[in-house]
Amino acid sequence: MAFKSVLCIEDDRFIGEMYVRSLRKAGYEVDWVVDGNEGLVAARNKQYDVILLDIMLPERRGSEILQALRGKEDLIPNSRVIVLTNFEQDDESRIAMQSNADAYLIKAEITPKKLLAVIAQLDTPKG
Amino acid sequence: MELKEPPMGINQFWIIFSKKYLTLFVVLNLVFAGGVVASLMMPDLSKTMTLTSVGVLLSISLITNILIFKKALRPLRDILMVLAHTNGERTVTNPPNPGASGYKKSGFGAVLQKLYELSSASSDAQDNKDKATSNNQDSFLSDALDTINCGIVIMDKDRKITYTNRATPVNIDTEGNKRLTLLFNDNDKLDDWLDTCSEHEVKAEHLWTRIPDKMPNEEGRRMFDVVASYNKDAQNETVLTLIDRTEAYEVDEEGLDFISFAAHELRGPITVIRGYLDVLEDELTDVLKEDQHELFRRLTVSANRLSGYINNILNTSRFDRRHLRVHLVEDSVASIYDMIKDDMQLRASSQNRVLNVSIPNDLPTIAADKASISEVFSNLIDNAIKYSNDGGVINVSATAKGDFVEVAIEDHGIGMPSGVVSNLFKKFYRSHRSREAVAGTGIGLYISKAIVESHGGGISVRSEDGKGSVFTISIPIYATVAEKLQASNNSNEGMIGEGKGWIKNHSMYRG
Repeated sequence: MAFKSVLCIEDDRFIGEMYVRSLRKAGYEVDWVVDGNEGLVAARNKQYDVILLDIMLPERRGSEILQALRGKEDLIPNSRVIVLTNFEQDDESRIAMQSNADAYLIKAEITPKKLLAVIAQLDTPKG
Repeated sequence: MELKEPPMGINQFWIIFSKKYLTLFVVLNLVFAGGVVASLMMPDLSKTMTLTSVGVLLSISLITNILIFKKALRPLRDILMVLAHTNGERTVTNPPNPGASGYKKSGFGAVLQKLYELSSASSDAQDNKDKATSNNQDSFLSDALDTINCGIVIMDKDRKITYTNRATPVNIDTEGNKRLTLLFNDNDKLDDWLDTCSEHEVKAEHLWTRIPDKMPNEEGRRMFDVVASYNKDAQNETVLTLIDRTEAYEVDEEGLDFISFAAHELRGPITVIRGYLDVLEDELTDVLKEDQHELFRRLTVSANRLSGYINNILNTSRFDRRHLRVHLVEDSVASIYDMIKDDMQLRASSQNRVLNVSIPNDLPTIAADKASISEVFSNLIDNAIKYSNDGGVINVSATAKGDFVEVAIEDHGIGMPSGVVSNLFKKFYRSHRSREAVAGTGIGLYISKAIVESHGGGISVRSEDGKGSVFTISIPIYATVAEKLQASNNSNEGMIGEGKGWIKNHSMYRG
C-alpha cells in the first residue's frame, strides 16, 4: 500500500466518523475537516495521497474547492481526488467536476469497504 | 422498364417516359384484342361462354387502362401540386419531394427541383418589386416583433440567420454571424433535424420543448418551446418561433430541485445504515449466531432496496422532465452485472429464492450507461424475486441476437394474465393482485423501459398466469452503434471508452 495519508472533507458527523474509522482501521493516516474553507486550506497546506471531497459543504462547496485546486493549474498533482456525494447534481456541473476528479461516487451506493477498494484501485503510479 | 444510370436530365425524362407508356398501351391493347379474337374463334365454346369471356377480358382491359392512365398522368398531377403549393394553396397531400427515390430514378426529380427553384425565384423577383413599398411595412413589422416576448428567427437556405427579433437569445461569432445560444439536447439538435429535412422533406414542422438558453444556475436563464417550420428552397427556408415558457418550466425545475434535495436528505441516513451494517457484520462475524447473520442480511437487503427506490424516483422525475440522459460507452453485460451481483444474490437468498445467472463471457460488448442498466437489471431481478414463490428459481441469461444482446430474466412465480401485461410499463401501474400481496411503487418497470429505450433497445415480457414471467431487454451491440456514438458524443469525450479511467458507481451521469 503506497497510499498513506487521506484528507476527508465531510460535514456529516456520522458519515465522516464512519469513513475515518474504517480508513484508520485499514492503516491510513486520516485528517478530517468539516467545512469547505478548512478543507481547501488543509488540501493546500499538506500533501495528501487521497482527498475525499463532499459537495454540499458549509462555507464553500466541494465544486469550488475542486475548481480552486485543479481548475486553472493542478495544485495537487500527487493527490487523488474522490468526490463523494449524495446530491443529485445537474449534468453540466457533474461533468465539470468529473473532469477534475479521479472518481465520483454516490455515498449511499457504497460502503466503507467499497471505498477502501476504490482507493486501492487508484493506488497505482499516476500517469 | 428501369433506368440504370440516374440522375436523368429533364429532356431525357420525356423521351423515356412517353416511349414507356406508349409501348405499354399498344402492347396491352394488342394482348386484349388478341384475347377477344381468340375467344370469338373458339369453335367449342357456347355462345354464353364466349360472351362471358369477352366481357371479362374487356373489364380487365378497362381497369388496366384506367390504372395506366392514372400512372401516366401522375407527373402532371405532381407539377400541379408543386404549383399549388408554391402558390400558397392548401393541398390534400404533401407536396411531392424531388429527392424521393422513384423520382430520382425516372429523372422526374430534376423537373420538380427546377420547378421549385423557378417558383421561388419568381416570388423573389416579385418580392424585390414590392420591396420599395414594403420597406415601411418591414420596419412596422420588426418594430412590432421586437415588443413580443417570443423569439422569431429566420434562416436562409445556407442556414445563415437573416433575422432575429429582440427576444431571441443570440450571440455573434468571430466571423460576425449571428448564432443562437439555445442548448439543444445532444440527441435531438436543430441542425440534425434540418439535415434530415433537406434530404427528405419539402415542407416540415418540428417542436422542441424545454430548450434552455443558458446553463443551470446562470443568471437570466430562459426556457423555450421551439417551433421550426421548414420550406425547401424558399428564400426564408427555416423559420423558428421561440415561445418563452420560463415561468411554467421554472416550477418544474424547482420541483426537480426539491426531489434532488429530498434524495440528498434520504441518502444521508441510508449511507450510514448501509455502511455500518457492512462494517459491523464483518467485525461481529465471530460473535453472531447464524440467525443473527440472517438478520443482518435482511437489514442490508432492505437498505439496498431503499437506495434503489430513491434512484428510481430520481430517474423518473428526470425522465418526466426530459432530463434523463444516458451516456453510452462500450461495456459488457457481465461487467455491468458484476456491479450488483453480490446485492442480487443476497436479496435472493434472504428471501429464499435461487438466483441462477449465466452470462457468457464471449458476448459482444454493448453500448450502455453502466449505472442505468445495472438499475434496470436490479429492478427486474427484484421483481422476479418479489413475484416468485418460496424456494422459486430465477434464471438470468444473455444471448446475442442480431444487432442486440438480449438479457432475459425468468421467474416461475405467480405470472400475470394478459390484461395486466399491456399496462405493465405504465407509470404507477400496479395490478390488483400485486397491490394486495407485494409492496412496490409502480415506477420500477416504467423507468426501466425508459432507460432501455434511451439506449436504443427495448423491453418485452412473456407471462403465463400462475406459471411465471420472462422479461427480456435488448441493448444494442457496441460495434453497431460505435460510429454514431463517437460522432454525437463529442461534447462528452471523457465519457467514451473510459478514456479517463474514472470510477463511477452512480446513476447521475445525466442532467
